[in-house]
Amino acid sequence: MKRFLSIWFPDWPLDRLRRARRQASPSAKPAETRRPFVLVEPGPKGLLVAASNASARAQGIGAGLRFTDARARLPELAHEEIDREADRAALDRLADWTIRWTPLTALDGEDGLMLETTGCDHLHGGERGMLDRLGAVFGRMGLTHRMGLAATPGAASALARAAPGTILDTGAERAGLAELLTTALRLSGEAETLLRRFGLTRIGQLYGIERTALARRFRSEEAADAVLLRLDQALGHRSEPPDWIRPVPDHVARLPCPEPLGSTEGVEEGLARLLADLCTQLAGQGLGARSFVYHAFRTDGTVSSVGISAARPVRDPAHLARLFRDRLERIDPGFGIDLLMLEAHRTGPMSDSTAALSTELVGGEVDEGALARLADRITAKFREGVVTVRHPVASHLPERSERSAPFDGAMPVPGAGPTGPRPLRMFAHPEPVQVLAEVPEGPPIRFVWRKRPRRVVRADGPERIAPEWWRALTPPPGEATPDGAGRKWLAPKLDPRADAEFIAKVHEKLTALDPGRAPQPRARDYYRVEDEDGRRYWVYRDGLYDDGRGGPPEWFVHGLFA
Amino acid sequence: MSFRLPDGAGLFRLSALKPSPAGAFPFGLGREGVHEVAAAGPGDMTAALGFALAGLAQARPASLIWVTERTRAHDHGPVREDVAAAFLRPRPIILHVGVRRTIDVLWTVEEALRADGVSLVLAELAEADFTATRRLTLAARKHGRPAVLLMDQRREGATAAEARWRVKALPSAPNQYDPQAPGRPRWEAVLERARSAPGDVGRVFALEYDDETLSLDLVPGLAAGPAAPRPAASVPEREAG
Repeated sequence: MKRFLSIWFPDWPLDRLRRARRQASPSAKPAETRRPFVLVEPGPKGLLVAASNASARAQGIGAGLRFTDARARLPELAHEEIDREADRAALDRLADWTIRWTPLTALDGEDGLMLETTGCDHLHGGERGMLDRLGAVFGRMGLTHRMGLAATPGAASALARAAPGTILDTGAERAGLAELLTTALRLSGEAETLLRRFGLTRIGQLYGIERTALARRFRSEEAADAVLLRLDQALGHRSEPPDWIRPVPDHVARLPCPEPLGSTEGVEEGLARLLADLCTQLAGQGLGARSFVYHAFRTDGTVSSVGISAARPVRDPAHLARLFRDRLERIDPGFGIDLLMLEAHRTGPMSDSTAALSTELVGGEVDEGALARLADRITAKFREGVVTVRHPVASHLPERSERSAPFDGAMPVPGAGPTGPRPLRMFAHPEPVQVLAEVPEGPPIRFVWRKRPRRVVRADGPERIAPEWWRALTPPPGEATPDGAGRKWLAPKLDPRADAEFIAKVHEKLTALDPGRAPQPRARDYYRVEDEDGRRYWVYRDGLYDDGRGGPPEWFVHGLFA
Repeated sequence: MSFRLPDGAGLFRLSALKPSPAGAFPFGLGREGVHEVAAAGPGDMTAALGFALAGLAQARPASLIWVTERTRAHDHGPVREDVAAAFLRPRPIILHVGVRRTIDVLWTVEEALRADGVSLVLAELAEADFTATRRLTLAARKHGRPAVLLMDQRREGATAAEARWRVKALPSAPNQYDPQAPGRPRWEAVLERARSAPGDVGRVFALEYDDETLSLDLVPGLAAGPAAPRPAASVPEREAG
């Protein structure tokens, strides 16, 4: 059975702001925290209070109140605009840092974290010891925190919100949660109000109620279902996998530092030790890994990480140290590093082949491992995707018959080769040229390319290449965007379907502006031409006269022959 | 592949004349050291690349690292690998590296010269001063791997490379099947610098590339007009379809 730890920061926006101010000017006198202070955000009807400190809460000013009302109660109330973006980013950073406690961490709402501690607690002195240690660290950071540990995420977060510091044994959720308030169940405000109205204030009171009865009282099956879903999740009847922020590493090596490290040499030395440790782990299982991440956890609750990736699974400490070498300067020791961690991701079996002594002895044999290591070094120096290989693609369109793909350790397999005369260089985007040519189907006689007129001396062609008609079929409108997909739910940066409607609109507008603009692709006639200087070009006419697909054909230069 | 005796068209094979590869054409291109191949004019980059590939075909590289400065790939168009690999038999393993700055190209070339498993490094870049070429020459000499640097017409001045070629396109050979069509590619390569053969500096080679035998042949007497078309060799019957 799994164990989950929920950490809730009730005053997260205020704490975050205070920490940011303190880091910006450490010498400044800490502001008086006893003054009533609120953070405000614009609401539909003017400013609303988003968060308030303890002394403001003592005056009855809490989140959700209108700022004008709060001002009326407390004229000396200080306020600032809340910065949700910064809060979110800071919570992300904190979640990154909690990886030192367990590799499985997730964000829990706007002001909480969810950690799965299954099998990790013995590293930190048992569950109670782990809670105490974490509490001490958060206390040092100046974060108000509430924690709960149970066998389900729902129960853990309920404990954190209603009975902080409790640890429930597996199987004890039913009894343990019975006395807690229903507000701990992560329900919406409306559902909480309804429950209160029916006098259901404790979680235990919900245990005996049938679903139909609850639905009848709520007059809405959705609300009843929501309450019961939360209840079942808390009791472990329904699973609720949290959305972990990072993939779980396959292998980890840790190196706690008794004294906080402040120097780059220490970081390098630590990396050397961890590499030796991790590579021994991997070698014991006959594995290598394709991606390594090196974390340096700082004493101030932040983490700085660098990662490298390899084209093939590797486990050679010297090679890995070399890949990391240029990146280590990006690790900022800050106020000191107290834990170093190295993770191996994407492991796979390693082929331990012996390389040839030299390429002279073995004709045509290439040491592929050495090439992959070279590619790793180049990638580590620049960025992912710098080293590419070309794969042949089964397409008769010249621009599509070769595809560039990042090198992933697999050596390219040559294809069948070109089907006709093909240029040595081919432009990614064919360049339009002005051409004097015989109509309808003659080769160019003169053309102007890159502002220079060129006279054609010899020409060969045409080679007609028809379009791939099966690509030009427009998909039925229902397929472009699945139900509910759109800008509202999909991030346009990540999912092109989000903008499908927008693109379709632009398309319509363009067609309305220029009816001759045919959406269908046209056949092309390619000519191999040579000008008087002996330079050889590959030009084509896009379309035929009277093909009924737009206006008169245009000419393009598509490539250059040697 | 049928061996054709050179007929009276004035073509003769260099390799038949000079058995030792070094010290003669192509002066160790693709075999040892760093060679520069520069274009003569703004439109001759493809000719320079074709000459370089044809010249190093005799070296039979097993693996090739092709480093490109990204702006140049954009200007001249990316290279089609299947066409480029047709210059080389057996086909080498080609890894492409595309980087943004000239200094990155030089770094990558040096790194590749040091790496095992690489038989040849080919780089397309804008600039390389004496210091840079000196560095690469030392690396190439130390590890015994050749490098070919492709540059455009702006490349001038001193170099530490073994040789520098200046290549421009020539009107192609007559096509034996169609007098209107371009024939085999011809280039004019001028040897601008050569450490191993200072006596040959300034020589002009008019070359014709035969894509069946993958050989570069010297075309003498171009000043007297293009060579007469050769009679058609036995043309293999093409299969229907």
